Amino acid sequence: MSRETKTKLSKNPGWAGETGDFGHLTEEDVRGTGYVGVRPPEGSHPATAGTYPFMRAEKDPEAPLFEGPYRERLEKILSRYPTKQAALLPALALAQEIRGHISPDAMEEIARVLELSPAYVRGVATFYTMYNKAPVGTYLIQVCTNVCCNICGAEDVLQAFLDATGLEQGETSADGRFTVVQAECLGACGFPTVVQINERYFENVTPEDVPAILTSLGAPQPGANGAAAPATDAEQE
Amino acid sequence: MAYPYRHEKETRILSEHFGDPAARTLAGWQERGGYAALRKALEMDRDAVIDVVKESGLRGRGGAGFPTGVKWSFMPKDDGKPHYLLVNADESEPGAFKDRELIRWTPHQLIEGALIAAYAIRAQHVYIYIRGEFFEPAQILGRAIEEAYAAGLIGQDILGSGVGIDMTLHLGAGAYICGEETGLMNSLEGRRGQPRIKPPFPAAVGAFGMPTTINNVETICSVPHIIRNGAEWYRSFGTEKSPGTKLFNVSGHVVRRGNFEFPLGFNLKELIYDVCGGIRDGRELKAVIPGGSSVPILSADEIDIAMDYESVARAGSMLGTASVIVIDDSVNIVTPVRRMVEFYAHESCGQCTPCREGTEWLAKILRRIEAGRGTEEDLDTLLEVGANMTGTTICVLSDSAAAPVASSIQKFRDDYLALIRPEARKDARLAAV
Repeated sequence: MSRETKTKLSKNPGWAGETGDFGHLTEEDVRGTGYVGVRPPEGSHPATAGTYPFMRAEKDPEAPLFEGPYRERLEKILSRYPTKQAALLPALALAQEIRGHISPDAMEEIARVLELSPAYVRGVATFYTMYNKAPVGTYLIQVCTNVCCNICGAEDVLQAFLDATGLEQGETSADGRFTVVQAECLGACGFPTVVQINERYFENVTPEDVPAILTSLGAPQPGANGAAAPATDAEQE
Repeated sequence: MAYPYRHEKETRILSEHFGDPAARTLAGWQERGGYAALRKALEMDRDAVIDVVKESGLRGRGGAGFPTGVKWSFMPKDDGKPHYLLVNADESEPGAFKDRELIRWTPHQLIEGALIAAYAIRAQHVYIYIRGEFFEPAQILGRAIEEAYAAGLIGQDILGSGVGIDMTLHLGAGAYICGEETGLMNSLEGRRGQPRIKPPFPAAVGAFGMPTTINNVETICSVPHIIRNGAEWYRSFGTEKSPGTKLFNVSGHVVRRGNFEFPLGFNLKELIYDVCGGIRDGRELKAVIPGGSSVPILSADEIDIAMDYESVARAGSMLGTASVIVIDDSVNIVTPVRRMVEFYAHESCGQCTPCREGTEWLAKILRRIEAGRGTEEDLDTLLEVGANMTGTTICVLSDSAAAPVASSIQKFRDDYLALIRPEARKDARLAAV
């Protein structure tokens, strides 16, 4: 990898490439990864058990739902609400965290556990765009094209991701690595173009950054939190 | 020390510790004076806390600007029912990126404010509803909540006071409408995030059918400072009717984009040209959206105004979330307007016909105009559809979609006409007759 690309990798992917008056901060300072630490699969305090990232590189579509540590986490989630129904969004998120998408079978199982009808669960699941109703690639690349990113060149960034992966929007690559979609406002409008890849934001992305970002993703690392992988890859190169 | 730029003119209260990773931790927050306000509040009568916030004049920072203390005072006193505080961290208004910075740099500021608010309104449980995409800020806030529980700052006997408050972080899943307070309550309850008809208001029948107050992240973050320093201190910033400081989140074609904190009433032109360094690449300013995508657009000659609720309203727009979107003269206004309308069409929950159908119609007509297939009559149709979408639905998403369309046609008609072929103009047709 060329020196130029390396410089970009250490600067852009992960946070604001335009560091403004805060160029002295490390990526970890900005993203708070050291502070967060590792999240145990069974959950730590029940207060946060329902808030794990549910768009991840590691996924197993065949894995059982709500067994072992995941059962423990579901119980923690249920303890936080006066009704079982209120655990529906966290339960859907947990299912997607494990399997990568939420199939009709998974919806039926969630319905059983929460004493709801499968039709009701499906009605709720289909309302929310972040629940994948079909499998997606290892890396789900979501490019914000809403107004603030749009006027700063987001369409070109989206096109660059489509060109680099040879995909149409919404399509998954043959090797199962990438799915590219446009996204609505990601809430980081001061850092255009904003791209969310799985649980992670990439800020100030330009079309020129796209090849380096794709390279930095690397292969999924079994058992590791996907968020930590890109930085490690970048450092090693 | 706003982020990612700072400016000497700023008044940094909420954003004082942005860019300081040490302030994130419980120890770091306490070293910086954190949780002193909570201790003080717990020694006060609950109603006295509400009175201080009322006297401070703090208004809701989520867009509507309703007086926070007044909202709190609507909560019943001795009804014996569970009360809930919901913190709205579903920041998803295009242009808004202030709550994300508050959460990722100062999570304990939010927790402290939420505990004070919950104490005041007699809530036993706080739910913080954070948008699903904010995985990274949510992990930071989650860690902070765990720290606060471990230190006895949250729980059944907070700091030995006998007061019990629980706190749960709840993750959304990608639906703008869940930022609407009754949509948020439905989503929290495990439903589709469709807004509810009011009345009943949340203070009477809210989450899980119980008395509920919903406040924005920035509103809640302002509370510890008010409790610690008093209402009079808070009123020393801003204007008579819009007291205090506010994060101005500036995006688009300025040299320095970012969050800047100023007292309400700060001049918009000064914000853009001085604080944010003016327009990028030596271009000229064309338009400014002063309060997030839902508010009417201002033209370049309308920006010499004070950024407080009243002044922006007088100028024909709204302060909203003070999310300033700056657009230069390289852009035809139809493109950003079309993109905003497509957003509302995507995010309409589908309950009300004027919104479900109207947002799609507006998007289709705007796409046609942008593709060079529009007629001048389309502009009248856009205005008519927009008028039928305003004030006719359960929530204001529909109004929000219509606002930029109407204001852009009124102020930037030439941009539309530039995309409409001469033979499709009204005057051309009249001449032909």
